[in-house]
Amino acid sequence: MTDSLIVVGITLTYLALVLWVGLRARGQQSSSLEGYVAGGRHVGVVILFFILGAEIFSAFAFLGAPGWSYQHGAPAFYILAYLSLVPITIWAMGPRVAELGRAKGYLTQGDMIADHYQSRPLGILAGVIGVLALVPYLTIQIAGAGLLFQAATDGLIPFWLGALLAFVVVAAYVFCSGLNGIGWTNLVQGIMMIVIAWFLGLSISERLYGGVGEMFSQIQLTMPEYLTMPGATGMNWGYFSTAVLVSAFGGAMWPHLFMKFYSADSGKTLRKVSVFYPLYAYLLVPLLFIGFAGILVFADDPLARADTVLLRMVMDVANFSPWVIGLMLSGALAAAMSTGANLAHTAAIVLVRDVAGPTLMKGASEKAVVSATRWSVLGLSLIAYLFALANPASLVLLLLGAYGLIVQLFPMVLGALFMPRLRRTSVMAGALVGSLAYLLMEFAFSSPLGWHAGVWAMLLNVGVVAAWQYLGRASRDGHPVPSH
Amino acid sequence: MTKTYHLLTGLHFALCTLAMIWPGALIANRIEPTVLGLPFLFFWYILWMLALFVGMWVAYVIRHGGSRHD
Repeated sequence: MTDSLIVVGITLTYLALVLWVGLRARGQQSSSLEGYVAGGRHVGVVILFFILGAEIFSAFAFLGAPGWSYQHGAPAFYILAYLSLVPITIWAMGPRVAELGRAKGYLTQGDMIADHYQSRPLGILAGVIGVLALVPYLTIQIAGAGLLFQAATDGLIPFWLGALLAFVVVAAYVFCSGLNGIGWTNLVQGIMMIVIAWFLGLSISERLYGGVGEMFSQIQLTMPEYLTMPGATGMNWGYFSTAVLVSAFGGAMWPHLFMKFYSADSGKTLRKVSVFYPLYAYLLVPLLFIGFAGILVFADDPLARADTVLLRMVMDVANFSPWVIGLMLSGALAAAMSTGANLAHTAAIVLVRDVAGPTLMKGASEKAVVSATRWSVLGLSLIAYLFALANPASLVLLLLGAYGLIVQLFPMVLGALFMPRLRRTSVMAGALVGSLAYLLMEFAFSSPLGWHAGVWAMLLNVGVVAAWQYLGRASRDGHPVPSH
Repeated sequence: MTKTYHLLTGLHFALCTLAMIWPGALIANRIEPTVLGLPFLFFWYILWMLALFVGMWVAYVIRHGGSRHD
């Protein structure tokens, strides 16, 4: 009981610190929409690095990543591969997005798409897809925070209260401080995550095996199949490779990542961020160690849920003091909360600007829009919290579906950035066919060759765009997009 | 310089991508030799993460370093 009180005490102190930092950022910005959404387009390299990084490393980093290396072994390197390849897209696309955003005042994906293709419905469609994809993502962060609290305090803080505590803090500073609040708190949370992850990864392999090298030697002696592809569960190269490609290059279509491109003070800043981005993937390395350490520990009595491996190792196996458990909980909550803050902020902006803007709130003043966005942060967080209470398990399926759909925006966005000759009808047909094919493969048929369904849907999408462009040119019935 | 520059950065990105998936990662799919205590395949990913960083850093310095503008 006293142990759990120490854990709770440390964690509440950490939450209070995050709240203080987040609210303090309020005084440093104007109250305009551009200030609230894009930090006045003056976010420098250090803050932007942590904003981008901290939103990629979610509850998944502390729960899912060690779970993968514990359950599959080598296929977990897919996470390292795709994370370190993400900056290629930022490098190639980011500066152009930032430049267009500055010149034309874009704040969302929908802004750019609606303006470039001269089609409001296309912008609203992008907005609806964005919100539908973001809410389950946010729900998973909230559920993750609740599970972490419950497990680390031995049930002293139940699921509903843990989830509520973490997200009241997040909703409060996003509501008050917008993107600047996210930037400063992510700086704190990013440092917290890195220190905790490395400490746990190295000390667990030291305590149980006498070091990282010694740990891998012992796994090699008894279970070498975990250390090379196809791993312990027989994942084939086709799935591995296509999953890396879809996650690395499609991931930039997520509105919460895409919209941060607008907030950079220059294209140069974005390039500088992408240079250092592959280094951030090193954060996950020690968390993979923890999963590998669990392979031999739980060899005779496998865990029912692979993604609890880190919690079980820290609490039951390695015999850490409650102080360490409290810090572990704070670090893992940092990962869930920093991503959650970004998701809530983005979903609210997309909902108000892309979906409500051209319909319900036509002609509303900027003050009204900022205020609607703030209240939407609270409303959407509350909806996600209620979903988390209902049933977090089925949402993983929803998120998978949403991921494949959001990726289908790729040709549309590339067209708006680099290919002025692409027509609205072509990209719309491609996105519709691609999305439909993805849903069919995900839920009805199995994907050919065992590849990631997103790759097939993407190829089909691009094929349809190309065919439509060609046919349109032949019959001359399509109207080219007016040039800028 | 711009044409060579874009070609080289593109090649670097393609090389790093292919090294981490099929077929590039096939040649590293082994446990021995271990490096820094890590199985070779694990080390291979650590190595290419670093290679991507170094390549991008060089590309950044060439394009944005010194007094040159974007």
